[in-house]
Amino acid sequence: MFEHEEDVVQRVVQQLRRPVAIDPALDARVMQAIAKPEPPARSIWPWLAAAAVLVSLIIWRPWSRSAEAESATFQFVLVAPQATSVSLVGDFNDWDPKRSPMRTANGIWATVVQLAPGRYRYAYLVNGAEWRADPGAPTVPPPDDEFGKPSSVVTVGGKGS
Amino acid sequence: MMLALLLVAAQVGTDPRLDRLDPDTRAQVATVMDSASRVGLPTEPLIQRALEGATKAAPGARIVAAVRRLSADLGVARTALGTEASVPELEAGVAALRAGAKPQVLANLRSVRRHPLTMALSVLADLVANGVPLDSAAAAVLALAPKARDADLVEFRRAVERDIALGAPPGAATSVRVNVGATDVFAGLHNPGAPPPPPRRP
Repeated sequence: MFEHEEDVVQRVVQQLRRPVAIDPALDARVMQAIAKPEPPARSIWPWLAAAAVLVSLIIWRPWSRSAEAESATFQFVLVAPQATSVSLVGDFNDWDPKRSPMRTANGIWATVVQLAPGRYRYAYLVNGAEWRADPGAPTVPPPDDEFGKPSSVVTVGGKGS
Repeated sequence: MMLALLLVAAQVGTDPRLDRLDPDTRAQVATVMDSASRVGLPTEPLIQRALEGATKAAPGARIVAAVRRLSADLGVARTALGTEASVPELEAGVAALRAGAKPQVLANLRSVRRHPLTMALSVLADLVANGVPLDSAAAAVLALAPKARDADLVEFRRAVERDIALGAPPGAATSVRVNVGATDVFAGLHNPGAPPPPPRRP
């Protein structure tokens, strides 16, 4: 059996007219929510910018570019037919005879070293005991030679200067 | 006991490469390096000078004296070249000073040359070492410095050395190369499209 339409409307109206119970603390919560500062927006742009910078650095590699662009390859040669070993020692290898041993072909000893711009003192150590300056390079003059054994000088300039 | 403690304290923070020095020398070198570092001077040249002495089996006192002298000269070079001078510039400046150049020459070079001064100062020192009178060498380098590239300066030095080897008086060889040969000497050095050069010779 169906209710009469007017009775249904009356019941709905009564329901709508009933006072709604509101939590007394609602006002305080609303005001607190309004007053609370919003968390910073999580923008994607800073991350994108950082990623772009990182990719640029990886591609450009400025840390290696400066050294690669400015350093130069130098070949050091000493004619010493009687020598059994020759080492190149200097400011560029901590004066360590083991760092730059030279190879020989028919008494011509040679090695290649990569040098960054700068002024370097160096010498040849023949047979582990005899010091020789490079006959093809400027020699360290006496006022600058404190150790009484010959040394030479090589100066590497910048490519762009 | 106190001396031992001082030595140990001095060794704290010492570059491990200096282990090739005997303990007493190492401590003294470390003291010099510490002093240099406090006033902002580079310590790597001091390390290299100490290592050179060690490899050449020099007495410890001579190594310490060499390092101390280099530290002092680096300070003079920096005063002349300015606090922005690079380590290679300071080292080349020391070479020029030891060749007899006055600090004012270094300062003048700084004022006329836009590029780094390492090569200019080095060429000055090398010319003097080859017998060129200091005044002639300084005048030549000052004349070339404003426009010459580093490669030009190297070629200039080699040209003067060749002339001297052929019997020319060093001063005259320098003057001739500056006044007459500059354009000829420097011609053809700059070719951006050229293939990579073979290894250079010092």
